[in-house]
Amino acid sequence: MNDVLAGRGLTKRFGQTVALAGVDMTVRPGEAVAIMGPSGSGKSTLLHCLAGIMKPDSGEVRLEGTRIDDMGERRRSALRRTRFGFVFQFGQLLPELPADENVALPLMLGGVARAEAVRRGRKWFAPLGLGGMEARRPGELSGGQAQRVAIARALVTRPAVVFADEPTGALDQTTGHDTMRLLVEATKHNGASLIVVTHDPGVAGWCDRTVEVRDGVLLAAGARA
Amino acid sequence: MNVGLAWRLLKGGGRRGMLGTWLTLGAVAVSTALLLFAVAVDFAFAARADRGAWRNPVPAGGRTAVAVEASRYDYVRGKEITVVDLAALPGKSPEPPPGLSRFPAPGEVWLSPALAELADRLPAAELAARYPERTGVLGDEALVHPDELVAVAGRAPDAPELTAARDSDWIVGSPPVKVASLAGEPTEDAEGYQVLALIASVLMVVPLLVFGGAAARLTVARRDQRLAALRLVGATPGQVVGMTVAEAVIVAFAGALTGAAAYALAVPLLSRVEIDGGPWFAADLWPHPLVMAGAVVAVPLLTGLSAVAGLRRVVVSPLGVAKRETPPGMRFVRVLVLFAALAAVPMMSSDTSATVIAVVIGLAFLSLNLVGPWVVGLIGRITAASARRPARLLAGRRLVDDPRAAWRTVSGVALTGFVAGFLGLLSPGSLVGTQDTGHLRVSAPAGQAAAVAERTRDRLKEAGVAAAVTTRKDVVVIALKEATRITGQDARRKELDEPLTQADPAALDRARTALAGLVPGRTPTTEADDEYFGAQILGDIAVGTVVVLSVSFLVAIASAGITAASSVLDRRQTYALLRLAGTPLEVLDRARRAETLIPLAVMGGGAILVGAFCGIPFMMTDPNLSGLVTLLVCVGVGFTGVVGAGALSRPLLRSVTADPAPRPD
Repeated sequence: MNDVLAGRGLTKRFGQTVALAGVDMTVRPGEAVAIMGPSGSGKSTLLHCLAGIMKPDSGEVRLEGTRIDDMGERRRSALRRTRFGFVFQFGQLLPELPADENVALPLMLGGVARAEAVRRGRKWFAPLGLGGMEARRPGELSGGQAQRVAIARALVTRPAVVFADEPTGALDQTTGHDTMRLLVEATKHNGASLIVVTHDPGVAGWCDRTVEVRDGVLLAAGARA
Repeated sequence: MNVGLAWRLLKGGGRRGMLGTWLTLGAVAVSTALLLFAVAVDFAFAARADRGAWRNPVPAGGRTAVAVEASRYDYVRGKEITVVDLAALPGKSPEPPPGLSRFPAPGEVWLSPALAELADRLPAAELAARYPERTGVLGDEALVHPDELVAVAGRAPDAPELTAARDSDWIVGSPPVKVASLAGEPTEDAEGYQVLALIASVLMVVPLLVFGGAAARLTVARRDQRLAALRLVGATPGQVVGMTVAEAVIVAFAGALTGAAAYALAVPLLSRVEIDGGPWFAADLWPHPLVMAGAVVAVPLLTGLSAVAGLRRVVVSPLGVAKRETPPGMRFVRVLVLFAALAAVPMMSSDTSATVIAVVIGLAFLSLNLVGPWVVGLIGRITAASARRPARLLAGRRLVDDPRAAWRTVSGVALTGFVAGFLGLLSPGSLVGTQDTGHLRVSAPAGQAAAVAERTRDRLKEAGVAAAVTTRKDVVVIALKEATRITGQDARRKELDEPLTQADPAALDRARTALAGLVPGRTPTTEADDEYFGAQILGDIAVGTVVVLSVSFLVAIASAGITAASSVLDRRQTYALLRLAGTPLEVLDRARRAETLIPLAVMGGGAILVGAFCGIPFMMTDPNLSGLVTLLVCVGVGFTGVVGAGALSRPLLRSVTADPAPRPD
């Protein structure tokens, strides 16, 4: 099977600090991969390079066979908007917009008319257990509910890959596991791949396989039992 | 402990933290400089009034009279000369007036430096011959402003200048008065200028207060999360407040010192602004050292207090900043307050008492500030409901979310719009005067018009000035022959029953000089001379309007810039994450622009209309072209300035979104 996303020989330095030292990593369509490692190991840098947020110093990143690391910022930005979805620990929802408009925003940015974008965005609410919360603002949602809105927003454009950086880091264990289950299920249900950066083995346990980064090097790769 | 920690936090704030610090420092510096200007204006007019008081004699009344004093106005090259006649009463040795080393003896004349210089520069027959016995030069203490033309003439107490009947109209001078001292008292027009200066100060201070709020908001934008974190690790509310005050005060103190220095540098420039006939002594524009020290101390303390007020949510709850809920709607009663104030406006007229006018206009001004956020919220709802593109949707939702913050951005320009609308209608254009300089008139003592006319002809002939001299009742009219006709004032000409003319300035001054002392205590004047004061005060109102509007707009534009920057800093995390998720920078920037421009257009226009509505009852003439031009220029400058100030924070937006993942983790 062809890889949906592939990073080869990725290196990245910040001054004297080596964040990535020649990392190779691939993700297959529909696969969920967890990136683990201690703080400062380079796992977020790897995610940012794979997502086209950051340009590696050397090496290359390909999405469905097309090289993306040498694209200009404008094209990479458009790519992130249309082919990738993002879920962060917190803070990614616009506090002024109601939940349904937060979800519809990526569609509107892609040129979809507002009414249609909101209609399509609202379809995600019931499956994610958010029925009736469409008009609520982020400040009126619990942490778990806000993360589910963020998941809906990441998936609404039908992306190829969803990137999640510590998506349950701000949630209690039960809510975190529920959120992770929904993230993995919804991502797979839509045929997207998932890359999750986490410290939590429980979160990593929801993924198909786990890779560990230490001192900028990919140490081991293990498939889920 | 608090100051030490605050200082370390300030130094360790990083590049963006320092940017916020510099912006706060700049905002406080501008506030301090303008505050000093607003205060100095009042001191400056008071100093002028005090220095000019000795020429406005106070009758001795029950006290022992020591001198006789009279004053009148003469003219040269279209400028006014104040001529003061002084005589010591027999057996008395009065103290000399300010600026003179001794009391002038009969026949002596002291000239102000500017008049002495002019007398030396012009041919003697045009000016110097009016003062044949120049004795000395007046010191600055005798002068209202450095370019003032003043002549002090010593007389005998029984000299005709001090005994002959004079016109008591204040516009031509003041008749001889026996005085107990030459202290005098400020003239009515000097006091009028002080009242106008006070109004100007108030009009400038209102936008300054708005600006202060914006600066404080900026300090809070940088601190809230950090201080919330300190609360989370156990800092007491007292410690948080202490650190806030310490940090705000450190920055604001540096800003206040910078502002004071900037004001000092601006004084030479400001002293060139001509009001009441001339520029300023630089010393007049220096506030008293205690006021200066007070501003440098008070501004940082007020900034500290504003920061504390802005941080009360953090102090109340460490989670206060993070929780965002639907804001409660504002009440319609705000609009009713404005309508109530405006309903009172048509009932006023120029005859209404000044207190009632001030209260009604003040209420309208303040209620505009009250209504602003409500209208911004309404505009936000309309914008959000009708938005088809993301930028407008974001802008509309932002306006609904925090209409007060959006109002803060545009309130300075909107409130200045009110002032512009009010003054734009109120400012009369030019005085509807004749500008006639071709005819000199002098009142002759009763029954002596023919004799005075005869002497006039002799003197003019001797001076080589061609003129036709006639009498009209007790007035001798001198029509200069080398004058050109003024056209276009048919109604006025019919009223005067003679053609209006403009004389060659040199010929006019030769005639004035030849006729000096013709009728003791009286000066031959033209129609233009008689219109001098009115024209000057209208000119001063125009200059004052421009100064007040310039200061207000400077503050408003700086305020808009600071608020835009603090808004970017406030939302830096959201902006960075949106950008990271692929939102184009243009969309974020367009949303920011719409968020400012939509309320600016509605509120700025609305405020101008409200201001103009409030000005209608006080219109002296039809709206004049220059007033409308001032208004249009203000609108244009205000809009451009706010848009420009907002654009200045675009690099900041780029900076907070350019590198969304700087950590090597």
